[in-house]
Amino acid sequence: MNVSTPMPMRRRHVRVAALIPLGAIFAMSLTLISPARSDTAGGPTIRLFPTSVLEDIKETGYVAEEMETGLQDVIARMDQQSQLYQDSKCDGAEGDPGCGRIAKQLGATYLEMLNVMNERLPDMERAVNATRNSLEKRLRGELGQKMTSWTLQENLLGNTPAGNASPAPRMRGRSGMRLSQRFQQYYQLVASSGAGASNQSMAVVASDIYLDMNEASELIARTQEEIGRATLMEQLNQSFGTITPEMQQVVDGVKSILFGDSEAPYQVAGPPPGSEEKPYKSPLEM
Amino acid sequence: MKYKLMKKNYLYVLSLLGISMLAGCATTPGACELAAERNLDSAFINAKAKLADGCEAHFDSYFDQLLGVAAGDPQPANKQKFSDFLGWSADEGILSRRQAQKLYNRYFNVKFMALAGDYNNCAQTCPRKTRVLTAMEAELTDKERGLVKVSQDPASYYRADRLFQETELVLEATCTACANR
Repeated sequence: MNVSTPMPMRRRHVRVAALIPLGAIFAMSLTLISPARSDTAGGPTIRLFPTSVLEDIKETGYVAEEMETGLQDVIARMDQQSQLYQDSKCDGAEGDPGCGRIAKQLGATYLEMLNVMNERLPDMERAVNATRNSLEKRLRGELGQKMTSWTLQENLLGNTPAGNASPAPRMRGRSGMRLSQRFQQYYQLVASSGAGASNQSMAVVASDIYLDMNEASELIARTQEEIGRATLMEQLNQSFGTITPEMQQVVDGVKSILFGDSEAPYQVAGPPPGSEEKPYKSPLEM
Repeated sequence: MKYKLMKKNYLYVLSLLGISMLAGCATTPGACELAAERNLDSAFINAKAKLADGCEAHFDSYFDQLLGVAAGDPQPANKQKFSDFLGWSADEGILSRRQAQKLYNRYFNVKFMALAGDYNNCAQTCPRKTRVLTAMEAELTDKERGLVKVSQDPASYYRADRLFQETELVLEATCTACANR
């Protein structure tokens, strides 16, 4: 089994675009994770999402949503301009005045995107860090200090009888899927848990969000460092009216995150139709 | 006179040898070998007979062979047969009750014996997280044998596989949180 997390696909696109789906993530998490949820059936109750954590998620959700709103329009324009550039066969036609104009417009939109991000990122950083820190505290206390490895696995098994064939969500580091897609799965899981049909432990959801917040926090810091440099580079490029490979990569990354990569849906091999008989339970079973 | 004395000693040595051969019969390599058997019930009977006849040291090998025989005719009922066999082994004092439990759960239960810790995760599991996960991975291979190949219970195996992945994720987050104190 792969213990490490294959991240390069995601990291490739994240420089400017990784923060975009956060709004959706937090908005969904916010409406779905109720603070008083008991984590296991019959196991010890753990409180991973108390009101304070929810408040942090709520705040981060608002900030991310604002950033997303600000970026969506710019990204849509960039997409159109990029398409026009390609349709006009401007690649390699730097001398063409029409292509030069399109490239300049694209560059200006790119600068606009960097500016929006530059304005919003400090708030985003504060909110993400607050969420990460509060989840970190809960995970350390509830799973790290109050549980043994045995009680942890009992907690994880708590809601899922063997033989439940519901597809598991793809987890962090194994999917390469967008954050928003993964959180859509969480949405379904948490929503169904309200009807008593959950097969997903809150410990897994909390861990996933925490690790994503950790990563997002690092990305924000790196992105802030990059923005200044990228802005300067683009201002210079504006003078020459060309599209750099770096710019093209960012545009591709933004498109990929907003509109998604075409990935095969995750499939866990399903078990054969289960028999109606009650499964054998050994007296030796723990 | 001298010849008579030598003959007497020779007979004495021979009789001692004969007695020791009879006494040690059960522990000679050939005597503890389990006969090739395709019927699981007969294989269990043979194994029990050998174990009761001084071949306790061969328990691990017998258990492995029994799993092999069971894989030839996989069915859910095999779980109970192995449980009964392990229970018998504990009753006979061949294994401790704890060893029998560990062995049964390692092969036929979703839960991981590799996670049988008594202290909190920050203190005990996190410092040896890699070892724990490696042990879980090895145990998952045994669960595949016990649950899928022997008991025809793939659903439980898939749950164990998912539990392994979930544990990996939750431990990564929890141990990061513990380390950032």
